[in-house]
Amino acid sequence: MRVDSEYAIETQDLTKIYHARWSGGEVRAIDGVSLRVPKGTIFGLLGPNGAGKTTFVKTLLSAVRQTHGSALIFGRDASDPEARRPIGYLPENHRFPTYFTGAGMLDFYASLSGVSASRRKKLIPEHLELVGLSQWGAMRIGKYSKGMLQRLGLAQALIHSPSMLILDEPTDGVDPVGRREIRELLVRCESQGVTIFVNSHLLAEIETLCREIAILHKGKVALTGKMHDLTAGKGYRLTVTKPSDALTEELRAKATSMAARDGLIDFQFPSRELVNTAVDLLRAQQCEIESLAPTTSTLEEVFVRTVEKK
Amino acid sequence: MVTLALVRDTFREALTRKIFWVLFGLSTLMILFFLFLLKIDIVAGATATVSLFGRPTRGSPDVNRMVRGVYGGIATFLYTFGMFLAVFASAGLVPSVLEPGRIELLLSKPLSRAHLLLGRFLGNILLVSLNSIYLVLGVWTILGAKTGIWSPVFLIAIATTTFIFAVLLSVVVLIGVTLESAAAATMITVALMIISPILAQTNLMMRLLSSEWSRNLWRALYYTFPKVYELGKMTLDAIQSGTFAGFTPIWTSALFGILMLGAALWIFQRRDF
Repeated sequence: MRVDSEYAIETQDLTKIYHARWSGGEVRAIDGVSLRVPKGTIFGLLGPNGAGKTTFVKTLLSAVRQTHGSALIFGRDASDPEARRPIGYLPENHRFPTYFTGAGMLDFYASLSGVSASRRKKLIPEHLELVGLSQWGAMRIGKYSKGMLQRLGLAQALIHSPSMLILDEPTDGVDPVGRREIRELLVRCESQGVTIFVNSHLLAEIETLCREIAILHKGKVALTGKMHDLTAGKGYRLTVTKPSDALTEELRAKATSMAARDGLIDFQFPSRELVNTAVDLLRAQQCEIESLAPTTSTLEEVFVRTVEKK
Repeated sequence: MVTLALVRDTFREALTRKIFWVLFGLSTLMILFFLFLLKIDIVAGATATVSLFGRPTRGSPDVNRMVRGVYGGIATFLYTFGMFLAVFASAGLVPSVLEPGRIELLLSKPLSRAHLLLGRFLGNILLVSLNSIYLVLGVWTILGAKTGIWSPVFLIAIATTTFIFAVLLSVVVLIGVTLESAAAATMITVALMIISPILAQTNLMMRLLSSEWSRNLWRALYYTFPKVYELGKMTLDAIQSGTFAGFTPIWTSALFGILMLGAALWIFQRRDF
């Protein structure tokens, strides 16, 4: 097995098969997933319900044992407890014991991550402040709202200065302002070299945040790539009254697509420079411009296309 | 540091459960009883008067016998009602850790699953042994101060109750990791406590059982299961007569506990969460 620590996560043919106890049937929750997450990036894992996202994350954390294949965390076998030392994890539907205070909860999980008592004493107030809970540190977490628990969970994931954050629905239950703060915090973490692996169903959020994504579908990797490559359908749609044939041909050569309808022609241009050139050419020939609008191929479109195709 | 954190977490969680406070409350009541309500006057090494609730008892009991009687009563309490309460209170402490949303986060930390489970096991034992130490040492100190009799053999009850609780807790842990049910863990463990005095009648049963296979079956059951009753009786005998005889109940119970805990660790290592 190749060990390559330039990747924060590297899986090879990772498979988890659940066997039904009595019927003998089996379910392939993840099926031959080979994925590489480079260090220092924000990586999004997407997929419809039941695609195997949570099983994949749990396999990385060794909460689920793979049937076959391998998973490496910074080049170390994921089943080795030491491989989890550089990870900060925020689970979806977490259930923090309600007998903790906010500060007590951070203290407990930080000590499990090997943070010394003196460091914890310094880090706990800092991290409570970081997530906007400094006034709530002494309060039992049974009194916290869902959004506050989410913030506290994030502080818990960050407190031991991890090299990688694995976040399952990190903004679940958080209000819009809080979401923006969390996004800013994660971008700040990225700038400090922390790898961030986000599992979320909020496509707009993934699109805003992530540099690379993978879409899981029916346990397999259906699509993976850099965000700007996958959403390269971005551009401008220029609608004009039918120009001369020569000009139409000239514009068609610059455009990525052309479609005629009701005496109008739609040109799709990939960049602002090209659409400006087209506008100059059209105006030089006194052609009428009906409309000009930016277009995007959103992550949602990419996602739906990928999932429906499979 | 990690072990200490796990132990502290077990303490924190246990102390949110009323049943642990009941256990400590009963121990406190007994200590207060001997501290305030039992008055013993010793004259020239013999009991002059013994007062209960401020009223002198009839006659003049042998102070040595009385102290040993009290020790025996405390040990019996610890082995019966105290043990039941401890098992009942502890039964939920393993399933609670395995709750979805909690176990994933614990498993994401850089510690082995064995460490996680043994940390909780250790925390639970320490908590119950602290109660034993509190009660036994408290009563021993009060009676010692009031009577001048400092019989260290009573302190053996701390070790034996802690030991048998650890054995029973291994069953609680095994049931906890397999069925994740506090109720099932309590029922099965209390059942083991209940059948213990029955299985202890081995000599009688060897005479009563007619076939060899049924005698072998009885022997197998006797040697397999933990000997709660016999260890309690051994402790009582040690307190009463100062002799601690027969180590078979100890090593067979220890072996049972090790096997149960080993099975629990083996299952816990292989489970998906």
